[in-house]
Amino acid sequence: MEENLNYKPKIGVYVCHCGINIGSVVDVPAVVEFASKLPGVAVSREYTYMCSDPGQNLIKEDIKNENLNRVIVASCSPRMHEPTFRKTLKEAGLNPYFLEMANIREQVSWVHPDRDEATAKASKLIEAAVAKALLLEALEEKEVDVIPSCLVIGAGIAGIQASLDIADAGFKVYLVEKTPSVGGHMAQLDKTFPTLDCSACILTPKMVDVANHPNIELMTYSQLEEISGYVGNFKAKIRKKARYVDFHKCTGCGVCAENCRLAGRVPNEFDELIGMRGAIYLPFPQAVPAKYTIDPKRCLQLSKGKCGKEGPACVAVCGPGAVNFEQEDEMVEIEIGTVIVASGYDVFPMEKKPEYGWKENENVLTGLEFERLVSASGPTGGKPILGRDKKGEGGYEPKKVAFIHCVGSRDKSVGNEYCSRVCCMYLAKQAHLIRDKLPDAEINVFYMDVRAFGKGFEEFYDRVRREGVRYVRGNPSEIYKKSGEEGDHTMVIKVEDTLTSTPLEYEADLVVLGVGLEPRKDIREIIDLFKLSQSTDGFFLEAHPKLRPVDTASDGVFLAGCCQGPKDIPDTVAQAKGAASSALILMAYGKVKVEAQVSVVSPDECRGCGFCVEVCPFGAIELVDENRMGNIVKVAFVNEALCKGCGSCAAACLSGAIQPRSFKDEQILPQIAVLGVRP
Amino acid sequence: MVDLKELQDKAKEVISRDDVRRLIGWQRGTYGFESAPIVVTDASDADKLIFDPTCVQNPASFITLEEKRPVPRGQEPDTRKVAVMVKGCDSRAIVQQLVEKAYPRENVIVMGMPCRGVIDRRKAAALFGDVTPDEVKLDGDKVVVSLNSETKELARGDILADKCMRCRYPNPLVSDELMTEEVEKWGADEFADVDEFEKMSPADKWKFWEEQFSKCIRCYSCRNVCPMCYCVECVVAKLKPQWTRRSTDISENAAYHVQRAWHLSGRCIECMECQRVCPVDIPIMTLNRKMTRDVKEMFDYEPGVDVEAEPLLACYNPQDPEDYIM
Amino acid sequence: MSEEFEPNIVAFLCNWCSYAGADLAGTSRTQYLPNIKIIRVMCSGRVNPLFLLNALQQGADGVLISGCHPGDCHYLEGNFYARRRFMLMHKLLEHVGVDPGRVNMSWVSASEGVKFKDVIEEVVTSVKEAGPMDQFRRRQLNW
Repeated sequence: MEENLNYKPKIGVYVCHCGINIGSVVDVPAVVEFASKLPGVAVSREYTYMCSDPGQNLIKEDIKNENLNRVIVASCSPRMHEPTFRKTLKEAGLNPYFLEMANIREQVSWVHPDRDEATAKASKLIEAAVAKALLLEALEEKEVDVIPSCLVIGAGIAGIQASLDIADAGFKVYLVEKTPSVGGHMAQLDKTFPTLDCSACILTPKMVDVANHPNIELMTYSQLEEISGYVGNFKAKIRKKARYVDFHKCTGCGVCAENCRLAGRVPNEFDELIGMRGAIYLPFPQAVPAKYTIDPKRCLQLSKGKCGKEGPACVAVCGPGAVNFEQEDEMVEIEIGTVIVASGYDVFPMEKKPEYGWKENENVLTGLEFERLVSASGPTGGKPILGRDKKGEGGYEPKKVAFIHCVGSRDKSVGNEYCSRVCCMYLAKQAHLIRDKLPDAEINVFYMDVRAFGKGFEEFYDRVRREGVRYVRGNPSEIYKKSGEEGDHTMVIKVEDTLTSTPLEYEADLVVLGVGLEPRKDIREIIDLFKLSQSTDGFFLEAHPKLRPVDTASDGVFLAGCCQGPKDIPDTVAQAKGAASSALILMAYGKVKVEAQVSVVSPDECRGCGFCVEVCPFGAIELVDENRMGNIVKVAFVNEALCKGCGSCAAACLSGAIQPRSFKDEQILPQIAVLGVRP
Repeated sequence: MVDLKELQDKAKEVISRDDVRRLIGWQRGTYGFESAPIVVTDASDADKLIFDPTCVQNPASFITLEEKRPVPRGQEPDTRKVAVMVKGCDSRAIVQQLVEKAYPRENVIVMGMPCRGVIDRRKAAALFGDVTPDEVKLDGDKVVVSLNSETKELARGDILADKCMRCRYPNPLVSDELMTEEVEKWGADEFADVDEFEKMSPADKWKFWEEQFSKCIRCYSCRNVCPMCYCVECVVAKLKPQWTRRSTDISENAAYHVQRAWHLSGRCIECMECQRVCPVDIPIMTLNRKMTRDVKEMFDYEPGVDVEAEPLLACYNPQDPEDYIM
Repeated sequence: MSEEFEPNIVAFLCNWCSYAGADLAGTSRTQYLPNIKIIRVMCSGRVNPLFLLNALQQGADGVLISGCHPGDCHYLEGNFYARRRFMLMHKLLEHVGVDPGRVNMSWVSASEGVKFKDVIEEVVTSVKEAGPMDQFRRRQLNW
């Protein structure tokens, strides 16, 4: 096909009615008439739905019969249907980049109700599109190979599921987890709602699977430090933090932890700090890998340089001699084709809501702390006992338990307007667990609304209510200790019952706060690495809220789980499978199209100052030698696989020697010339 | 005070080197209070070199002005060095050219000329009329002009260029060898001229510029003399796309001047050559000075003082000001 | 100028945030003034400051550049470069007597359809106050 030649332009203009979306406001026939008189326009037509098959066929027929070489579609936003019409052109044998769109729906008919104004503006936009179309160039769509491996960040249930799916499909997975064990928040939970499956029982097999899968390289206690490259060809640097325990020698017997001088004296993060561990530890008994880790901040040998008179006990008792205080962080470099971010969430930090007396009172617990309290692997062996001493003895069973909904969710005063989606149900589940373990306890639940939207949720909520759990509609304003007396654990909950508008006071000796989910505190690290965007709630922004929920704006980088927004386990697993499938599509096909609208250098005009090199965010430009009639000069050169076509280089270039294709100065200036003229 | 004999001998030595192609400096001018630039290629011409307050031209402009001739097949390109004499202000052009990778540092030999000021030809003409002086020299705080066997002493501010009165870099910032002792710095730049101009209303500003730009004949002298303007093809000359049309009416003239000032923002090293050469006396530096001041104020940036600096508009600070952005 | 002066404003919007924000304004049927004509570019960093000058020369009464909020650029840092450039260009145009109300810049994200409308209203108001841009409007006779 003869393209890019300076032959006479024959432009087809297609004005879409979009049903009545455009046609009811814009005088389409008048616009079509206007367009038909513009320079270079050979065909000007209207149609009800240009994006429909008959609409597209109209274009295809004209391209063939009228020998059109440029196509303008005046319809919706190019962000909506540019790919559709590019395909239309391609199918008709025309280079897809000979398409220009005029956005007369989002920018005209939907926002300007006045028929005359809308018609005038639509005509202007089409005129500008025609002016640009005259200077469009044919571009080549290139493909690059996709390295058949995937980096998964975070080994909670989302990361685990995504890794297993990809590995099962036969592709290599690097699963990187920050903490010493896989499992994430799900491993901390006791039971799952609404089925009351034991969380550990359904998760542990999957944890073991990721550790043993031949296609998965599991890197726990590791962190992604650098990522470069582009879809299909990423390079990542991962820091494997020193465990101070030889990974291969450690058998996970645990003798070291028993003998650690700090055993039972270091708050365990996995137990939400209500349980204890030593300086050398396994976060929980089912941890995978079952390899011990030394906490360098707490370990006496590592932080103080001295542990006891006889030296570190762990070294002395470790049969295989696995403890190694000389161990250093190891940097691993890998090449991958795709990335799945499954970095998870943090629970709402109660410091932001001091009126509930958390931390000051040992019987005010967050939902996650409660999970550890009632978990069989938790610090009390699953018994809901509070107020034990440091040796883990004594304590009491609560008699009156209160659960509070929406703590840190749907609360503008703490900056979280969103619903965390899981709290209603986990509180119902926890109320059920208390009823199960303490049949005589009085249980009150304070709620704003109960959102039991999922499969089996409403039924479960109903069941819990029937079990004698009282739901009180009201958001507590304050929770405080009833008396300062020793041994009196009673808390007073001040609340207004919003159904009867009566201020009430309830008593409880255990208060469980239904804390919501927040973006991780360290979310910035991942944002900076991948340059991901955040939505207003602070979670990662997906490429499209409806149609591309697992994609990100960065090609080849996908999202799974709560890092994209609060969700329960089935939703997380579904999204993880979606992300895995998206990554697999790239890897299974093995090739990916790279941006065609990349920057191009006119070496004769380039003065080699390197401004473009400095501004390019992707490192796509370098200065290379150019033979200018016998003289060697430096000029810019664009690596097209790296260039994303942002065009920052063009704005930095003083001579106009570097230009992004489809958005060149010479293509934009005619648009300005048309749109600049006052009507 | 520069010893001319010593300077010329040094120049002879440099130009006689095998790896030096040419030497750019100043010679006595033919008319008025200005010297003329000279390109020395032969040692015998070195005797023409001078250095006095008439040496106003910026020789750094010539380094990048040089057109690279096509190299005939079978021959090697001439890669010999260019030696250039520079005053303090001129040297900033070299620094900025190096920041912009115009040429490798080793390609030039910089002969530094510490300087205490040069004559503003317009001030001189106002004082003396259309004459050519016999000699102009600096003596302490005075400028001594010998004309028709008479000598006249002037205060420096009366005849030296404005840039010299606020000069902060009298000694070259980059040089391979200083030809004289360094001189003591005296100037400070408070940008009082910019502040003064900014007191005007937008309408008055435009009135001022409308008058000034209307005079422009688009000879492009300001661009040609500028040491920072050395694109292979200047955007104002381009036809595809055509940014400015050729007409010398207010629209195209204004567009040209804003474009020129824009391209020099964060790059202008204030040698004032543009304004000096303007045949219709447009105060071009009033635009450049504004950019210089704003660049310093908003981004704490001064072009042409640090070879290691990043070009202003090719870097950013996440905390850059954004006060007018909605 | 009398009340009926309706300014013509050329806007350069980045594809990922501001153009998407304008689309959202459309999808949510948020009405705004038709004075604004949008040119889509991939990134605010693509907008050559000389485009503004050119738009004013071609007859636009005002200009708007809009990109992603700092730190949210789809291309990582394009809007940071844009911010520097347009801070300077704004000052330069002001210096030659262009009413500062003609040159506008905003950060509008893909979710800020309402902000987009507010920005348009503010820009139209400020350009209306500045009046028709006749200072160096190109006459068609120029060549």
